[in-house]
Amino acid sequence: MSGGTVETAADLPPEAREALRRLVIALADAKRLMGIRYSDWLLGAPSIETGIAASSMAQDEWGHARLLYAMLKAFDMDPVQVEHERPSDEYCSPDALDRPFEDWAEVVAGCVVIDGAISACLRSFAGGSYEPARSRVPKMLAEEEFHWDMAAAWYHRLANASEEARTLLRDATLEMLPSTLAWMAPDDSAANVLSDAGLTDSPGAIRSSFEAVVGPVLAELEVDLSTAEARSEGWDASRGRGPGGPDDDAIERARGDRNRMLFVE
Amino acid sequence: MHEAVYEVFARKERGEPLRHIGYIDAIDDALARVYAWKTYDEERWFEMCVVPRSSIIPVNRTDGPFAAAAPREERP
Repeated sequence: MSGGTVETAADLPPEAREALRRLVIALADAKRLMGIRYSDWLLGAPSIETGIAASSMAQDEWGHARLLYAMLKAFDMDPVQVEHERPSDEYCSPDALDRPFEDWAEVVAGCVVIDGAISACLRSFAGGSYEPARSRVPKMLAEEEFHWDMAAAWYHRLANASEEARTLLRDATLEMLPSTLAWMAPDDSAANVLSDAGLTDSPGAIRSSFEAVVGPVLAELEVDLSTAEARSEGWDASRGRGPGGPDDDAIERARGDRNRMLFVE
Repeated sequence: MHEAVYEVFARKERGEPLRHIGYIDAIDDALARVYAWKTYDEERWFEMCVVPRSSIIPVNRTDGPFAAAAPREERP
């Protein structure tokens, strides 16, 4: 990291500014989609308390997304357009959030792997030199501590439950991991530009931070995070993720299409 | 999976008495913390605690939820 702080994106050279814009949109979209996936489980979670927690976590994620989208004003972007008018193939969220979670094991795996990866990115961003992130992201991370506590407790519970539960959880974990690792710590020039400018940690350091937190939890199912490989076929460097995008239903909900005529912002 | 009842206590300000605000069901202490914090989030609590209902020792009542949940040797 460099010594000084960056007060506004306008102070950055073009390449770093563009890399930072990609990071902010990726984090905002990740939060928005994570919130949608949690919101699917307000009803149907294993208990009323778990559904209430999912509801609260969805609200947290959407609040974080709103704060991150607002940071795009520094890049001369209109957050309203970004939030409400983009098609699926412009979203920069993790590939593993492109479709709904099918069962509770997928929710738990997603909470550990995907939300864990988003938090690893945010820790790196909060510790970097970009002042808007240094001031706004720590509160998000404080709220995320409860998401993590819930994720780790449920992972432990299912990992020590029936063989069927263990299999579902392990399969979901292994399915989500490769693309999420690629999204979290991209092996591309934009990620290196960010770390060279002191705006984030290096991709390797972000991955190490993720492994330190998430690794011991995944080890309960003999998933060795240190040897897990990122999958980046069809890598879209403009979005920092693989090909495709979230399903149509999620995009309609994210944009508020069904109530567009009532939009008053 | 067996769920236990946890009583939830909280205070809004430092020095204010800790008061009973409700209860939640959870399968272990870790989830009890999360559920309590996420369920009773209508206030900006200064402090919140959860206690397994079975750990509460009734003093003067032989009926009600606390007496029913107390370990047998602790029951009045």
